[in-house]
Amino acid sequence: MSKNIINSLSLAALALPGLMQDAHAGRAEETYNADILYGHYAESNQRMSVDIVNVSASAPIGKAFTLAVDFVSDTMSGASPMFNMKDQNGQVKQILSGASITEQRYAGVASLSYALEDVTLNFGGGVSSENDYQSGHFNTGLSWDLNKKLTTLNISASVAFDEVSPTGYNYTKSKTSQQYLLGVTQILDKHSLVQSNMTFSYQNGFLSDPYKLVFVEGGGVQSDARPGKKFQWGWLTRYARHFQDLNDAALHADYRFYIDDWGIQAHMVELQWQQPIVDEWIIMPRFRYYTQNQADFYQSVFNTQNVGSVHSSDYRLAGFGTLGGGVKIMKSFQLNGFVKDIKLQAAFDYFDRKASYQIGGNNQGSFDNFSFYMVTASVNVKF
Amino acid sequence: MKIFFRLVGLTYMLVILSACTPVKPWQRGNLALPQMALEVDAQEAALRQHTFFSKEAASGGYGGGGGGCGCN
Repeated sequence: MSKNIINSLSLAALALPGLMQDAHAGRAEETYNADILYGHYAESNQRMSVDIVNVSASAPIGKAFTLAVDFVSDTMSGASPMFNMKDQNGQVKQILSGASITEQRYAGVASLSYALEDVTLNFGGGVSSENDYQSGHFNTGLSWDLNKKLTTLNISASVAFDEVSPTGYNYTKSKTSQQYLLGVTQILDKHSLVQSNMTFSYQNGFLSDPYKLVFVEGGGVQSDARPGKKFQWGWLTRYARHFQDLNDAALHADYRFYIDDWGIQAHMVELQWQQPIVDEWIIMPRFRYYTQNQADFYQSVFNTQNVGSVHSSDYRLAGFGTLGGGVKIMKSFQLNGFVKDIKLQAAFDYFDRKASYQIGGNNQGSFDNFSFYMVTASVNVKF
Repeated sequence: MKIFFRLVGLTYMLVILSACTPVKPWQRGNLALPQMALEVDAQEAALRQHTFFSKEAASGGYGGGGGGCGCN
């Protein structure tokens, strides 16, 4: 009897979901999974809104393989910022594109993982297609259990090839991206674990945004022009702690430091509290703060002296902070028939992106501030 | 930056300390609870990362490096 309990707990430990690097890398699945998610993203002031449908499925093949596929459809509409200019009073104003017609993006990903005794190998690839943008990628990863499965080492590499053929222009440009991840997950004690991942990324090719412009005082407008290569380093540390006395609640705390050779440093903190209530209902309030400083070649508005050959007024390369959070509700149903488990999830999050939220202050003004919300609902079924 | 170095130090310390508290496989039931999974909902996590990736300069750390998009 006790041996059975030990065996089943050992099995549970082997299938520790927390130790998986992500859904596509981990031990062989024992069930067939089908997941569908609907999401809606909308920015303030009639800017961009996106409707997202995501369908995923995974299946065990034999005892060691898991095949996973994932399909995403994004339907985008609305205006987006093009450049900034100064009005008669010298105030910087943001100029938006006209409300675009509806655009569509489709993306598909497939991956195969192979689980050995202590090592899981993963191979995958995917494509993303828009009328003006094509992207394809391959990735491979290894996760290796060490130290009596208290420690898991994660290594992965991916390469992506992107091509942009901007609407209204007669050219196609490309870029190549490589990303390498090195990470470790460590069980600290019976109630807590930590994961620390570093990613190194290198991009080269056309890294400018063909739809963005810069305003040059006394010199009209010029195209966005960024360096032809970029090196990025991100270090994410995630901590999860279980609280037995609080009805098995769990705290999740993530911190990421980021730096790139375009002069941007960024910090991100995310906190989540997962509180089981009753009958497999879980409520999860969450909070996220992000801050970055501006790129070396960013200015809201340029003049003929400082415009140079490399310049951008893209609001994503400005100094700013984003503060927000939301709540997620989850309910599981354990069944004994053909369907083993059904999980329903719904979430709402709101974020406020402001120049003044940048850590250490920012005197750029409020011309590019905006807010956005995200709503998601999903159904996960295990067979 | 100070907070960054503190966090680095804390992480390092936690990993070292952990070597002293071995957790047997049958003591890991709490860690296998769904609410302790680092990625509780892969689809939603991917959507959130995709959203932040297209609105912020920083990215990385979460793995699953995927394809790009012409997101504005």
